[in-house]
Amino acid sequence: MWQWFFRLGSPKWFYELSGRWLPWLVVAMTVLLTIGIVWALLFVPADYQQGDTIRIMYVHVPVASISLACFPLMAVAGVITLVWKMKLADMVAKCAAPIGAWFTAVALATGAIWGQPIWGTWWAWDARLTSMLIQFFLLIGVIALRSAIESPDAAARACALLSVVGAINVPIIKYSVEWWNTLHQPASSFSMAEDSPFGPEIWVPLVIMIFAVYLFFVISLILSTRTEILVRERRSQWVVDLVAADKTQGA
Amino acid sequence: MTALAGPQVTTFTAFRATLRRDLLIALTRRNDLLNPLMFFLIVVSLFPLGVSSDPQELTRIAAGTVWVSALLASMLSLDNLYRADYEDGSLEQLLLSPQPLYFMVLAKNIAHWLVSGLPVVLLAPLLAYMLYLPADAYWTLMLTLLLGTPVLSLFGSIGVALTVGLGSRGLILAVIVLPLTVPVLIIGAKAVADASLGVSLGMHYALLGALLALSLSLAPLASAAALKISVN
Repeated sequence: MWQWFFRLGSPKWFYELSGRWLPWLVVAMTVLLTIGIVWALLFVPADYQQGDTIRIMYVHVPVASISLACFPLMAVAGVITLVWKMKLADMVAKCAAPIGAWFTAVALATGAIWGQPIWGTWWAWDARLTSMLIQFFLLIGVIALRSAIESPDAAARACALLSVVGAINVPIIKYSVEWWNTLHQPASSFSMAEDSPFGPEIWVPLVIMIFAVYLFFVISLILSTRTEILVRERRSQWVVDLVAADKTQGA
Repeated sequence: MTALAGPQVTTFTAFRATLRRDLLIALTRRNDLLNPLMFFLIVVSLFPLGVSSDPQELTRIAAGTVWVSALLASMLSLDNLYRADYEDGSLEQLLLSPQPLYFMVLAKNIAHWLVSGLPVVLLAPLLAYMLYLPADAYWTLMLTLLLGTPVLSLFGSIGVALTVGLGSRGLILAVIVLPLTVPVLIIGAKAVADASLGVSLGMHYALLGALLALSLSLAPLASAAALKISVN
């Protein structure tokens, strides 16, 4: 019964399967992204308090929610790498780290752009912002460790371990930052709670955008993992055949 | 076969021997012992020079300054933890020994804390005085450092173990370890700042104690796994 699981770990199998999935994913993402962006930018009513500024939420919230999913993903891949020594899990983890760091950076940047008109400042040591920043640092640490270790096998296991340690730490950091901040200053204008009534005309496009950006993340991850597979498996026969077939087709 | 086995070595004997060995080595290398302390002293003295010599302002930043400097000093002293053992091959022997690696790593971490963490705790009141920390916060400062610096050593040990085989480590250790230490810094510095406000500190100590218990039970396991990865 474990056969499917280990087949899942075969880079060749993943490469072929993801190649068949990719066009569909791209089509779905394009459709959802177009609907979501047009709806959010043109048809959602402006907020009675925040005006048109509210529209940045449709980028900020999806990006932030995905960047939070990145560390659990890397930790799960890390456990699989450490326990079953599955090469594919490490390739996914390796590619997820920079993408996750970018998503975190975009979430911080869009948050700053949103915060400027609403809070009157680009940056505040708010609990959520701070824990996002620390998560960014943790991801940078994993990426730095990966690039510092030369042997790919040792790098895989070292980064897997660091991801697991980091993932255990993420909730601790989150709660300690919240505890620190809420004692520092009472929840003032930084709360999201005072948004306008959250009707379906607001949240339906948000849900569409979340799905669209999730698909974008998955597609980026798949594309980057496919490149990683080709680079690491360049000596295996199926990659050599693939490249040869590609060349004859081109000529 | 029994002749080869030799006298029975219990885990406790091995633990004590490792601890003793590391302490003896540390005592023979006075510079390694003193440098982190001097670093701690110098970093703390930079703050009045860089920020202001105004007593009121210094009082306000004293708790955070001492805590951040202690964090940096402990980061600096981490390098001694496995490096020499890695270079002379005794780390490999430790990994090959039949003793549970958890206790061996724990012994090394405790030895490291005794020579680098404990002196920082003891020196802290002097530096706190130089920064005009209110008198009623002294005990809190020492107690939080006493609970917090072992956590720094234990977390740091994971980072050192991961990077011990690398030729050029430099700053990578700090980049890996510093984000992990954020909770300790937040709780410790906050407790000291709250002490002079008359806030009840039971929760602060409880949280630090919880972090210490968690890292005592889990961090050596992670360090052991990391050493196995690095040494191969």
